Amino acid sequence: MGELIRMSHISKSYGRVQALDDVSLTVNESEIVGLLGDNGAGKSTLIKVLSGAVPLTSGDIFIRGTKVTLRGTTDAISQGIETIYQDSALVTQLSIARNLFLGREPLTGSKLFNRMDRAKMDAVARDLLKRVGITKNIPPGTPIGSLSGGERQAVAIARAMYFDSDLIILDEPTNNLGVAETQGVLRFVRGARDSGHSCIFIAHNIHHVFQVVDRIVVMRRGKVVADDIDPRTSTIEQVERVITGMDEMH
Amino acid sequence: MTHITPWRRLTGHRWIARPEFGPFVLLVVELVVFWSINHDFLSPGNISNTLAFTVELGLIAVGMTLLMTSGEFDLSVGSVFGFSPVLMWTLMNSGATSLEVAFVVCLVVAALIGLINGWFVTKLKIPSFLVTLGMLLVVRGTALFITDGFPQRTWSAGGHWLAKILVGDIYIGDFRVYASLLWFAGVVLVLGYVLTQTKIGNWIQAAGGNPSAARARGVNVDRTKIALFMLSAMLAAFAGVISSIRTSAANPNSGTGYELEVIAMVVIGGTALSGGRGTIVGTVLGIFILRVMRNGIVLIGVPGLAYNIFIGAIILGMMALHSWLERRHQAGT
Repeated sequence: MGELIRMSHISKSYGRVQALDDVSLTVNESEIVGLLGDNGAGKSTLIKVLSGAVPLTSGDIFIRGTKVTLRGTTDAISQGIETIYQDSALVTQLSIARNLFLGREPLTGSKLFNRMDRAKMDAVARDLLKRVGITKNIPPGTPIGSLSGGERQAVAIARAMYFDSDLIILDEPTNNLGVAETQGVLRFVRGARDSGHSCIFIAHNIHHVFQVVDRIVVMRRGKVVADDIDPRTSTIEQVERVITGMDEMH
Repeated sequence: MTHITPWRRLTGHRWIARPEFGPFVLLVVELVVFWSINHDFLSPGNISNTLAFTVELGLIAVGMTLLMTSGEFDLSVGSVFGFSPVLMWTLMNSGATSLEVAFVVCLVVAALIGLINGWFVTKLKIPSFLVTLGMLLVVRGTALFITDGFPQRTWSAGGHWLAKILVGDIYIGDFRVYASLLWFAGVVLVLGYVLTQTKIGNWIQAAGGNPSAARARGVNVDRTKIALFMLSAMLAAFAGVISSIRTSAANPNSGTGYELEVIAMVVIGGTALSGGRGTIVGTVLGIFILRVMRNGIVLIGVPGLAYNIFIGAIILGMMALHSWLERRHQAGT
């Protein structure tokens, strides 16, 4: 497994508040990293830095060994980093196919007419929904607004997969989802890894994290306090102690 | 259960669930009721008269549809409708330029008005209600100021080629239509195509539906909105010029109140006031629903002053219908 993303000595402060303090984190190719930490541990800030939403104060980000500068979310997406926030990444009024291709609509015919290739969009959408693991037959023309929370996550993940995002960041993808829906989302995440994408998986529910990730990273008070916990050889209780700071585990 | 029953239920359901379905039924009901009370309602003369004014408001309404789909609206269209022909005829009458140049100048000025609206809304993040309310007053005030409140002469347009192209008569048998109807039909087709078939249309809907998600995907939300403000103002100016030639009057007060009537037409047709969802077909239905109502109630003898009661009732009824469809749509999964 080669190294995909390396964040090196990242610091971020908001005025006098040090949100990230010398954080280093590596994500390998085809790896799901679970990012855990209590509220205010710095997970969100780290993700925002990596998705280009906030500029870092100091430190470097490398993609496959090449240093990159992320000036905005569009920048991050074009570099292959896709962040999926619950509910915010999709336009509910638009169809699945239109959401999948939003901003990168394929055209057909003369450029002058600006006509979308809807046949292609529908075909790709159908294929992607199958690949991501949705077994139910949902027409690609269905508006996002009439999908369930899990299906919406699936569409967002499918989009990231189709546009070859190397790293898919999932921020609380299982929040407010039922048991069956959650299992569906975890399956989508595994599917994404199995087709060669890396993921950073953030969830409050440690059980969900344990079910799907290859490696666990724990943050506390703006620092990474453990970055190589193997969910197969550790227990949830041990990880909880690291999160709360009752135990150091290296 | 056979295979036919669920299939028919599905297609029937889809038809009825479309936002255009309610307005379509309402328009048919209007036509039937007015015709059954007074057969003159569908006479060629009456249809021709109704159409002439309908398309002028209609031009503004289709532009407004795209703008509202992108999540904004424009209250200054009525005053641009009044101001643009005043500007054109003032330039023409003063001998400063020819009619053609004056026409182009008034469209460019309208585009500029739209640009300013769009810039205030997107760059200064001021709600379009406030921005375009301010612009309404500025533009109307300018029209009144440069004319001292008096209508401008327009009779010299008589046989000018531009006047013929914009509003010339076309007789189909006894049936007289104005060229403006063709302009309206053309604009409807083009904008309907843009909204439903093109990448730009997808961006317009996304800008209104979830601007931050659209931005994250690389959609230039601000530029999309600014372009639509410009389009809306230019269509209002175009409609104002057509109207002034048809009625041989460029009155600085004309177009007063049109903005609200136009917004009513758009929302009756099923476009969401909050953006994200828009339909040109619905707007065309909305345009006809209101214009037919205005014409019809006069023909069947209801006092014209009661017109607003019916319009208000239609708006309330249609909004209730659209919100019911919306909720049923969301709950159906």
